[in-house]
Amino acid sequence: MSFIESGERLALRAAVAELGAKYGSSYYLEKARNGGKTDELWAEAGRLGYLGVNVPEEYGGGGGGIGDLAAVCEELAAAGCPLLLMVVSPAICATIIARSGTEAQKKHWLPGFADGSVKMAFAITEPDAGSNSHRITTTARRDGDGWLLSGQKTFISGVDEADAVLFVSRTEDQKGTLRPSLFIVPTDAEGFTWTPIEMEIVSPEKQFICHLDDVRLPYDALVGDEDGGLLQLFAGLNPERIMATAMGAGIGRLALAKAVAYAKERQVFKVPIGAHQGVAHPLAEAKVELELARLMGQKAAWLYDSGDDLGAAEAANMAKYAAAEAAIHAVDQAIQTHGGNGLTSEYGVGMLAGVVRLMRIAPVSREMILNFVAQHSLGLPKSY
Amino acid sequence: MNIVVCVKQVPDTATERKLKSSDSTLDREAVDGLMNELDEYAVEEALRIKEAHGGEVTILTMGPSTAADTIRKALSMGADKAVHLSDDALHGSDSLQTSFAIQQVLGRTGFDLVILGSESTDARTGVLAAMLAERLGVSQVTLANKVEIDGSTIRIQRQTDYGFDRVEASLPAVVSVVEKINEPRYPSFKGIMAAKKKPVDAPSLADLGIDAAQVGLAGSATTVVDFAEAPPRAKGQIVTDEGDGGSKIADFLASKKFV
Ligand SMILES: Cc1cc2nc3c(=O)[nH]c(=O)nc-3n(C[C@H](O)[C@H](O)[C@H](O)COP(=O)(O)OP(=O)(O)OC[C@H]3O[C@@H](n4cnc5c(N)ncnc54)[C@H](O)[C@@H]3O)c2cc1C
Ligand SMILES: Cc1cc2nc3c(=O)[nH]c(=O)nc-3n(C[C@H](O)[C@H](O)[C@H](O)COP(=O)(O)OP(=O)(O)OC[C@H]3O[C@@H](n4cnc5c(N)ncnc54)[C@H](O)[C@@H]3O)c2cc1C
Repeated sequence: MSFIESGERLALRAAVAELGAKYGSSYYLEKARNGGKTDELWAEAGRLGYLGVNVPEEYGGGGGGIGDLAAVCEELAAAGCPLLLMVVSPAICATIIARSGTEAQKKHWLPGFADGSVKMAFAITEPDAGSNSHRITTTARRDGDGWLLSGQKTFISGVDEADAVLFVSRTEDQKGTLRPSLFIVPTDAEGFTWTPIEMEIVSPEKQFICHLDDVRLPYDALVGDEDGGLLQLFAGLNPERIMATAMGAGIGRLALAKAVAYAKERQVFKVPIGAHQGVAHPLAEAKVELELARLMGQKAAWLYDSGDDLGAAEAANMAKYAAAEAAIHAVDQAIQTHGGNGLTSEYGVGMLAGVVRLMRIAPVSREMILNFVAQHSLGLPKSY
Repeated sequence: MNIVVCVKQVPDTATERKLKSSDSTLDREAVDGLMNELDEYAVEEALRIKEAHGGEVTILTMGPSTAADTIRKALSMGADKAVHLSDDALHGSDSLQTSFAIQQVLGRTGFDLVILGSESTDARTGVLAAMLAERLGVSQVTLANKVEIDGSTIRIQRQTDYGFDRVEASLPAVVSVVEKINEPRYPSFKGIMAAKKKPVDAPSLADLGIDAAQVGLAGSATTVVDFAEAPPRAKGQIVTDEGDGGSKIADFLASKKFV
């Protein structure tokens, strides 16, 4: 048993950190504040195979696991470039297609995930079915040799920059408990429109309400079985949580690094402010929390990559919870450490507050994780 | 073409570097080691030459066992194999001995072209390429910001203070590069995974016919007699602009002989 990552994993982290440093916070903020996209970074990371580390080798990917992809995500975030679409496109969508897709679907989509030339958004949340996915109403009706898809989704990230969206829906004869069917819908499909949601988060990736109005899809737009049950969906949702953990840990590291650098330099009484325990101890606490969350994230990734979906589910939920809380604390303390500068645009710390606060809500909320742990890990009665 | 790139592991320049009081050598244990920055450009140039003309790229490193990380990085960038010369007896070798040891390794690998960085960030003597060429009895073309291979001819642009010289030599040759020459690539994920399987030859001194007394601190022609900590940075001088800020700054720079 080892709690230390392999030499290759560490080398991957070092390489990605170097690439991230070339772009850095200033690049990300400039894009986020001016409505730009992080296209250059995405393309370069894609060419280097960093965005496709988890895609099987026979489709041009790196043949690694979600642990490798999480390492990429964390290092880019720690360098100041948290790429939200990494959580969605290579982690959820590529995983689901690699695990449940037909050979033709894999051949069509996976090489694009492998080099980052394809981006796919993921849509599960609906206005009336947020935390409760069993209530989703987006419905697929058979139509000749294809499908007609109708419904509405909300908060879907990155639709404007995606080639396609993977929609979670149900077939018309399904009622009650969700047996999800998954459809790939190209963003230029007729009847598919989307409108942006005004958000208070500084980020290059935007969120959208998606409207599907009898969108005609060929039969092979369906990924996996018609009502393949929750397992094929969870194949993608564990990676999502593992990636959210990595992103939280990365942003937490970024905030902490900025705070530590500032605390060493800034002097208002006789010593640098970092010498005051009132400043130092909360930063040390943040460090402890971040390392614990990272470790749990690595455990979840390890379980997932070794094929233990069930074991991974508990660990991934716990890791995601811990990472969100650790990142929120780290950013909050980084702001406090910077004093007034913590809320200036120049220092780029204040804007992280919105980004990490989001992590307590999405992709799965703190409360839903605690529900999961209470029910599945502790055996307490289901509360809802 | 058989291309050998000399790569040195140096302490991270971003961290505080210290000399050991016991033997006046650099304390390499205390800080993280990484590839000498200019050597990344040397590796990149070798890979580009290989991509254009075919052949094989071998990394040659003399350094402690921790230098394996630096070798791994060069291999993950795309080099084919490596030689790691590591022996406690080499500790404290000066430039003359380092060039001697590297010469012996090159006897084992053979070479058409040897590429070095023009200077390391730790010892910074900048003499290794010249010493090596002299020992090998081949041409040296140094400070290259551009390299062209044409059959058995190498043409470079040698960077100078006023521009550049065009220099031509025939292979085999030793070339040293400056950072203007290219932009080193990042290791790809496939490169990182492949590096693990690439051969790293680790000859002993005996394999190379080197007598331990010929190298290391004891056998060095030069000795560090004494050293002192750099004095703490003096307090900066603030120039307040009262309409004459520009000339005050110019005066300051002139007094320090910057302009
Ligand atoms: C920036 C951003 C990006 C997003 N990107 C995507 C995307 O790309 N694709 C996608 O599908 N979705 C996306 N989402 C949606 C996100 O997954 C949901 O917001 C999240 O799952 C919560 O759902 P909700 O907003 O409907 O909240 P609700 O489900 O309405 O919950 C509201 C509150 O009630 C609590 N609550 C609900 N039920 C219970 C219960 N049983 N016990 C205790 N507490 C409960 C919740 O924890 C929460 O605090 C994104 C959201 C944001 C903010
Ligand atoms: C503080 C200090 C003082 C020193 N003083 C002296 C001194 O006075 N005289 C003296 O002769 N030596 C001295 N040395 C020893 C010096 O480190 C060695 O001579 C060194 O191995 C070679 O010199 P360099 O790094 O300056 O090479 P440079 O000529 O600056 O380096 C050019 C290139 O040579 C290659 N190269 C250099 N070293 C290696 C290696 N080990 N393996 C593979 N490739 C390599 C790289 O491509 C590098 O880019 C000193 C070292 C230190 C740390």
